Amino acid sequence: MTREELLSKKPLRILEKIKENLESINDKMEIMIELQKHSHKENPILPDAPLDVMTLLSMPDHLRKTAMTICRYGRATAEDVAQQTSRARAVESAYLNQLVIMGYLKKERKGRKAYFYADKDSQG
Amino acid sequence: MGKIIAVHSYKGGTGKTLLSVNLAASFAKLGKKVCLFDLDFRAPSLFSILEVDDAQCWLNDYLNGACDIKKVMVDLSSRINGNGNFFAALANPETEAIRDMSAKDRKWEMRALGRLLSLRNTLLNDQEFDYLIFDTSPGLQYSSINAIVTADFVVVATTGDRSDVSGTRRMLQELYNLFEKKTGLVINKVLDSTSKSKKNEMDTRIKNVYQVPMLGLVPCFCEILRAEGNLIFVQDKPNHPFTKILEDMAKRIDNNQIS
Repeated sequence: MTREELLSKKPLRILEKIKENLESINDKMEIMIELQKHSHKENPILPDAPLDVMTLLSMPDHLRKTAMTICRYGRATAEDVAQQTSRARAVESAYLNQLVIMGYLKKERKGRKAYFYADKDSQG
Repeated sequence: MGKIIAVHSYKGGTGKTLLSVNLAASFAKLGKKVCLFDLDFRAPSLFSILEVDDAQCWLNDYLNGACDIKKVMVDLSSRINGNGNFFAALANPETEAIRDMSAKDRKWEMRALGRLLSLRNTLLNDQEFDYLIFDTSPGLQYSSINAIVTADFVVVATTGDRSDVSGTRRMLQELYNLFEKKTGLVINKVLDSTSKSKKNEMDTRIKNVYQVPMLGLVPCFCEILRAEGNLIFVQDKPNHPFTKILEDMAKRIDNNQIS
């Protein structure tokens, strides 16, 4: 690779890195916003609460839709859920993070993607 | 892709098992590949109705994560005329197994839901089944709600009994609506179903009370009682009016004509 080629690739890589970092900051901010919402309410945060059908029944409608999509897929990104529910990715991302805070879902990062799942043993 | 159908009711004795078995057999007679599941773990009955005593594993074992679904399914295709495939997955009727199933915790129920949902991949996608039919326990029980959540379409069996009517209505509004389930109502054990006034009364009731599409009216047939559960009606009595009604239901579901 020539010196010119190397130089032209570098800014691209820097931009990609910046984008990655921004996405990671965005995710963290969504969690912080949700946490803040929760701190006003008296809802206890349950660690590792099972996402069973009775829990699904008692959830507010908007969260049930998101949670049921995760149940169906086993493991999915906010993008996958958004495709299924026809809502915006950012909206699903916020709902998914809220479900993580409530203890019903877990989040795992793989590269640039964040995957959500209810239970390690029943991932699709 | 195939479909999962759950047959459910608010009260017991509404004819869920009768409908499930005969609906499954009707699909098989139409040449479909069908598996009937006994999800009534509190009162298993399919092993006795279908006279199966050589299941390698029970559905209980599959939901416990102890065996593969293929080991649970029994091939009963030879019992049905035509070129369809008829399989059954049975619940363990032993008292110990019933006790064990009624004492499961929420985490287990969550995993059981995951295992039922994964049948979509293993049976509908990979094995190309056309229909999985879930026969459930009556009322709001974990196993039944798991089945409803998993299903694409729910057949709700009800009768004219006063307590059944109000309970079914509440269940449709407060359970099915929340899960956004496509539903078809079957009114079973209808008296004077041929009279016009009765039909009109039923139509009005379904529109006003239940507010869901009607799948069928099944008259009260003494022959069904007389058979004492020994017959698969649509197979053994091909010209009986009950058979015609069930075959019509199967065709309407298959052609997506429920409205």
